[in-house]
Amino acid sequence: MPTKHLIIDGATASDQWQTIADDISFDGTLDEATLDGKGAIISLARLEAEADTLRQRNTPIGVILRAGEKVGEDPHRLAPFLDMLSLVAIEFPVYRNGRGFSAARILREQYNYKGELRATGDVLYDQWQFMHRCGINAYEIDGDIPLATFTKAMDSLPDAYQPAGDDKRGILWRRS
Amino acid sequence: MYRYDEFDNEMVSARVAQFRDQVERRLSGELTEDQFKPLRLMNGVYLQLHAYMLRVAIPYGTLSSRQMRMLAHIARKYDRGYGHFTTRQNIQYNWVALERIPDLLEEIASVEMHAIQTSGNCIRNVTADQYAGAIDEEIEDPRIISEIIRQWSSFHPEFSFLPRKFKIAVTGHKNDRAAIKLHDIGIVITRNGEGEVGYEVHVGGGQGRTPFIAKKMTDFVPRNKLLAYLEAVMRVYNMLGRRDNSYKARIKILVHETGADEMRRLIEAEFAKIDASNMLTLPDKEAQRIMAYFAPPAYETALATSDILQAAQSANKDFTHWCATNVVSHSQTGYAIVNISLKPIGGIPGDATDTQMEAIADCAATYSHDEIRVTHEQNLVLPHVRLDDVKAVYDALVPHDLATPNLGLISDSIACPGLDYCNLANARSIPLAQDISTRFADLHRQHDIGELKIKISGCINACGHHHVGHIGILGVDKKGTEFYQITLGGAADENASLGDITGPAFTEDKVVDAIENLVDTYMNIRTSADERFIDTYRRVGMPPFKERLYAD
Repeated sequence: MPTKHLIIDGATASDQWQTIADDISFDGTLDEATLDGKGAIISLARLEAEADTLRQRNTPIGVILRAGEKVGEDPHRLAPFLDMLSLVAIEFPVYRNGRGFSAARILREQYNYKGELRATGDVLYDQWQFMHRCGINAYEIDGDIPLATFTKAMDSLPDAYQPAGDDKRGILWRRS
Repeated sequence: MYRYDEFDNEMVSARVAQFRDQVERRLSGELTEDQFKPLRLMNGVYLQLHAYMLRVAIPYGTLSSRQMRMLAHIARKYDRGYGHFTTRQNIQYNWVALERIPDLLEEIASVEMHAIQTSGNCIRNVTADQYAGAIDEEIEDPRIISEIIRQWSSFHPEFSFLPRKFKIAVTGHKNDRAAIKLHDIGIVITRNGEGEVGYEVHVGGGQGRTPFIAKKMTDFVPRNKLLAYLEAVMRVYNMLGRRDNSYKARIKILVHETGADEMRRLIEAEFAKIDASNMLTLPDKEAQRIMAYFAPPAYETALATSDILQAAQSANKDFTHWCATNVVSHSQTGYAIVNISLKPIGGIPGDATDTQMEAIADCAATYSHDEIRVTHEQNLVLPHVRLDDVKAVYDALVPHDLATPNLGLISDSIACPGLDYCNLANARSIPLAQDISTRFADLHRQHDIGELKIKISGCINACGHHHVGHIGILGVDKKGTEFYQITLGGAADENASLGDITGPAFTEDKVVDAIENLVDTYMNIRTSADERFIDTYRRVGMPPFKERLYAD
């Protein structure tokens, strides 16, 4: 496994989350010691099935939204649970699969989701700025990327023509 | 014409600098070809059979003479002295060296041109009717909304990694010259009951191995809401479009598998949410600002007929023939639209040399209010020529082999680059186009046959639009031998239709005979010279053509 480098809100960060596979039960094997004070990232299916029990725990809960090939997981399915989620990991299984760009905007703009939106998977240098514009604020990056490289990528385009999920208004809207 | 302001210049310059950095990282070995691929594809650079190919965007097919001179300069300095105008109104250079592309991009940026989003799975260059702003009975110049779409779609953060490429075309006229029903989104400018200008939107057209005619999704979207509507279509596609099979990834497949009614419901639901946020409602002042760039040029007052033109026609029969095919009436009294054929007999469809491009630039500067258009049928247009100047334009074009009187005739075919250039092709297209054009070289015979659109693709990807040719030809490979399958009855206009396969394919040495056989059948059974090939086919269907074609 290559090392993962985590950048949150423009700064290097240590990961406060663990991904928990569907076959690990929260009641039995997964005690507080295993989680070591970290939050648990679970699948969407598990979230839907166990939300009521999970609400009873103090463990911070996050979910991973899988991009899929033929069909991707629908971000609208997260709506009933957004109040209990403090992280949504958006999967980019290969750089070409850009479903996550739309998922991020739907969560931020249509549901006003304020928690962490983390890009995970095959996240390319030249996509980081676009991800940021769609509302993603955390990046799980393969290898040891200097923070300066990340900052440079974030500035690669000086402006934007269109509004999106960030605070840029878009050239078309600013001229007049 | 639209002119860049400081915002546009800043964005294009930043992109050139970014790509220069990426090319340096590739040349130094820091980036592998695999890592470099998505980056070059966002800048119009393909790796072809023999070399890198660069595609330069010509937004909605409009060029100034200064831009055309730059394209000639690029052909001379970076390529082998020519360029190839494409069916998407762009230009391709087939022999550029990768390390020189950043300099090339910097040079074209100096005349407000770029290669952004001419490849990759993003929203590509927007195409439009080549007679925009010049043809009578146009509801609105389609370049206005095309420029607005160009800007909105440039570097779109959400839609730069779509399931597949995405093409938008716009027409402002009832006669569709932009093939809008064969695009991912086709837009027809229209008016509602109150006389307001808006847009009818068609979604899910396309060619390739699974051709579809687009389905109408809405009758009317007002101007200030169109970007919100387009964003809704794009979001539905980006979320639901298939990514498991690149042949099933275009929006046409999603529309087909979802059904037009359900697709319409999904788009409307997303549109309602985006519209409620108001964030994409286009400010009227910005629309007016862009509209002003496309105001009609300062026409001179002139009579509806020209003595100079009439005298020239009486004196020169070749000129008269050229006028009949290549000159079209203009919305402004005393003016004409002049078409320049890039299909000389035996030539390569769409190719132009540096000196030809410069000759055309000179004509545009002197006689056409500095404007040139590129057509999706791979020809060029001088949109605003005084009737008094038509002969002078002709005289300037003739020495450069640019006055072939064959617009819309059998030798004015579309052909993809084919096996001569393309690494996807199964068969050659260009030599076949040349052979057909040579077989029918006699222009009197061509005029007698009348309008007949032949379109040739070298493989199933259909870049040569064979599905919508009156006669379509598709190159296929059978055990290492090139064969050609023929279709009849396709059309790319407002009555768009897909062609029907005649039967077994033909070998290379038989295919031109087969085309002649079809033409002879048509000539024998047409009711009059006014009944075009496509009309005859629609009247009688396949049987008489097929019977003669496979008689031996």
